[in-house]
Amino acid sequence: MTKIIINGREVEADPKEPLIHACHQNGANVPMYCYHPGLSPVGSCRICQVEVKQGNGPARVVVACRTPVVEGMVVDTEAPKAHETRRECLEFLLKNHPLDCPICDKAGECDLQDYAFAEGQGEGRSNEPRRKLDKRKSLGDVIVLDEERCILCSRCVRFTEEITKKPQLAVVDLGSRSTISTFMDRPLQGNYQGNLADVCPVGALTLKAFRFQARVWNLKKSLSTCGECSRGCAITVEVLRRKDVKRFRPRYEPKVNNWWMCDTGRFSSERHNATERLVPAARRGSQGLEIASVERALKQAAEFLSGAVACIGSPFMTIEEAQSFAKLCSQLGAKPAFVSPAPSGLKDDLLNTGDPCPNRRGLLELGFEALSPAASRARIAAAPAALLAGERVLELCERAQLAAIRGPRIATFDTHALEGDACDVAVGIPEQVEKSGHWVNIDGHVGKLTVARAAPAGVQALTRSLDELRALLTSSGVASR
Amino acid sequence: MSNYPTYLLDRAKITDAHTLAVAQKHGAYEALRKVLKEGISYAEVIRVVKDSGLRGRGGAGFSTGMKWSFMPDPVTDPRPRYLAINADESEPGTCKDRVLMEQDPHGFLEGCLLSAYAIRAKVIYIYVRGEYRAPYNRVLAAIAQARAAGLIGKKILGSDFDCEVWMHKGAGAYICGEETGLMESLEGKRGHPRPKPPFPAAFGLWGQPTTVNNVETVFNAPFIVLRGAEWFKSMGTKTSTGNLLVGVSGHVNRPGVYELPFGVSCREILEDVCGGVWKQRKLKGFLPGGSSTGVLTAAFIDTPMEHDAIKQTGSMLGTAAMIVMDETACMVRAHEIIARFYEHESCGQCSQCREGTQWLHQIFHRIEHGKGRMEDIDMLVTLSRGMAPAKTICALSDAAAIPTLAAVQHFRGEFEDHVKQACCPFLPAGTKRPVFAGAH
Ligand SMILES: Cc1cc2nc3c(=O)[nH]c(=O)nc-3n(C[C@H](O)[C@H](O)[C@H](O)COP(=O)(O)O)c2cc1C
Ligand code: SF4
Ligand code: SF4
Ligand code: FES
Repeated sequence: MTKIIINGREVEADPKEPLIHACHQNGANVPMYCYHPGLSPVGSCRICQVEVKQGNGPARVVVACRTPVVEGMVVDTEAPKAHETRRECLEFLLKNHPLDCPICDKAGECDLQDYAFAEGQGEGRSNEPRRKLDKRKSLGDVIVLDEERCILCSRCVRFTEEITKKPQLAVVDLGSRSTISTFMDRPLQGNYQGNLADVCPVGALTLKAFRFQARVWNLKKSLSTCGECSRGCAITVEVLRRKDVKRFRPRYEPKVNNWWMCDTGRFSSERHNATERLVPAARRGSQGLEIASVERALKQAAEFLSGAVACIGSPFMTIEEAQSFAKLCSQLGAKPAFVSPAPSGLKDDLLNTGDPCPNRRGLLELGFEALSPAASRARIAAAPAALLAGERVLELCERAQLAAIRGPRIATFDTHALEGDACDVAVGIPEQVEKSGHWVNIDGHVGKLTVARAAPAGVQALTRSLDELRALLTSSGVASR
Repeated sequence: MSNYPTYLLDRAKITDAHTLAVAQKHGAYEALRKVLKEGISYAEVIRVVKDSGLRGRGGAGFSTGMKWSFMPDPVTDPRPRYLAINADESEPGTCKDRVLMEQDPHGFLEGCLLSAYAIRAKVIYIYVRGEYRAPYNRVLAAIAQARAAGLIGKKILGSDFDCEVWMHKGAGAYICGEETGLMESLEGKRGHPRPKPPFPAAFGLWGQPTTVNNVETVFNAPFIVLRGAEWFKSMGTKTSTGNLLVGVSGHVNRPGVYELPFGVSCREILEDVCGGVWKQRKLKGFLPGGSSTGVLTAAFIDTPMEHDAIKQTGSMLGTAAMIVMDETACMVRAHEIIARFYEHESCGQCSQCREGTQWLHQIFHRIEHGKGRMEDIDMLVTLSRGMAPAKTICALSDAAAIPTLAAVQHFRGEFEDHVKQACCPFLPAGTKRPVFAGAH
């Protein structure tokens, strides 16, 4: 660690990181466009100017993202000269910027807008026509480019070069004629395209899926963990009007995903906007599945859950849910197991593990047995009764084939239940974005889920339902072992 | 025209000096021979060049001996190292390196080899601007002859000095003449200058220690090695030693490339060497050192052509490419053209340069074409101050800002006349300026 002085305060700075890193760590608000902590610093946008003094040398204004920290260096991020240089730079950046913030998806989380608001002049001085470029250039299925908004920071170029290591973007032409383009205008490829919209500091690269969907300041953000594979990327869940999950975005987590996530995970947010939900519970009557209270449904389940019950959980169960499930299993004298679907085929060198079970490690550590969908169904078919619990458990056991099983009486705890599903009792549960809890990822890192959206009224936590069921079994005499 | 001692262009004036036989008859490779035969150490070569006061001829005028001494010690840093020769010569007004490469390619190659010896480089890359076909072909042919004669390759002249020379053709971008842009381009990438530090001596071509020198700079080295630092210092001034090639263009009777010692006055260059302003017209102003140096009024014509004196006027010596403008020239028009060049050539990495060069051009264009406003004149100044000094990765942004500031400083009246009359006062009534394609 190197001791330097930032704005009059002595601080410890990591000598492997450029000065801007130390500034940010110590609360100094230095703007940046081309710099991104996850990408190599190129020092081209020139916005991060700060004043630096070394030894007896004169004060110099330098770009903080390309300046190494040196013991004893005195940094003033608020020096008038630094402010002036940054303001000048900002004016140039805005010279050709379309300023179409009112229709820009990035507005509200745009680094250019933020800094222009903080430091810019109320009125521009330019009398020249702004550059006319393509405002909606499709770069494939995921991303659309607005060339006019691009400030040519080259973050997107470096992302494809340095992170996915499959260079696909480049700056083409020179000077004020420069634009960003894919090679020969080919569509972007790969499972990490969504990150481009995150690294882009302005609204030049945006997600087609998020286009004109929401104003970002209306989104409520909650921290969570992605469930699409056993990497469990740290994410933020963004919900509009307490209802629609609009985005999953990666959240910086150096032990797991740094700043990134794959598109499979990112766009799994859509799944949480399904309209079909089981609220609060159902039981099979003469007319098929009939809505019932949770209490009634649990009572009925307690009546037939005895003997050699097959207990199959979902790999989406949190540690907390799995603990309740395991206790219930032991009460029933069953071995806890979870359905473990085949690898997704999405495994890559970056993040995606190809294992669609976000809490595999956590469940294994709790003594769960992993069963393939077929093995899960075989166990169910061989038992007089079965208990299936956890988000997507029916889907992962392969719904149609599961429904074909005749014989055992089945109680399910899933987010929804279909008429044709193999269940005598079904209890609704909250989705991933509606509960708090923990998953253990492939490397043993504990990922956290928090409530981003309330579960539908009446739907109670899976832990609670399982615990209540266990209490019913105890009172009806099924001994705890 | 007064008689000054010459050496740079002596051989170039001899018929067929581009062939090895003729060149050698007139002294080519003598210095290299001397160094290798007498075992003069590289440190000694650096010392004599440092003592001579030789300054880079690529525009910045940095001490060449000093630059060479920045190369790390090969004992503690055994990485491969390179000499890159900057023959991109793209500054408007400048055409001196071309003469050397075309007329005396062996003299040039000897300079390259000696410089490589001094910095202990075994590989030389010569980066030639793409349009320079004739110089390229001449140097290429000279390399083949020199290689056949054992002057390039392994064990040069029987010594244990190995050195290879490669030529590379640029593709027409001014920015590839900036030393780090040149290195990127040589590596096969876009010619985007690199931020410094790290400097080329520490992290240059392919990350290895590299020195970038201009053609004329290295061309001086053999003469200094052969004739000594004192001889070199006997020409020029105290801080600008030796002779330099002055390229004069514009409204003069005899434009051309001339060899003169530093310190000769601009008046002498204009009147004695170039036969004065053409068509018996009066001098209005001149750019002393190429398009990136600030324009000076006729009042400065007695300034000596040397680094310090020109700097005192607020301008720069640059590449000593003097561009002369007579009384009929429109300074707004001239600077519109200069601004257009920098807009076209900015690589576009830095915000100030990418947007600023375009902005300046747009304003110049409007003023020249009768659409200027008085505020625009001060805008030119404040925008230029936002672009320089040293606010960007390379000095192209400065190169666009400096001439703009000088033009407004020295010729504000002309700008105001344009605005007041809502047209260019230098145009005969009823005519219109041609508008360049790409102008706004
Ligand atoms: C935009 C720009 C263009 C340049 N073009 C050239 C050029 O064409 N030829 C050249 O010798 N130096 C050019 N230079 C200067 C080089 O960066 C460098 O200073 C020079 O090659 C060093 O050589 P010297 O020390 O021998 O002068 C240019 C600099 C800038 C900023
Ligand atoms: S598209 Fe965005 S990330 Fe890419 S260069 Fe432009 S502003 Fe930067
Ligand atoms: S100053 Fe201009 S030419 Fe130089 S690196 Fe920056 S944008 Fe490119
Ligand atoms: S953030 Fe430092 S130059 Fe762009």
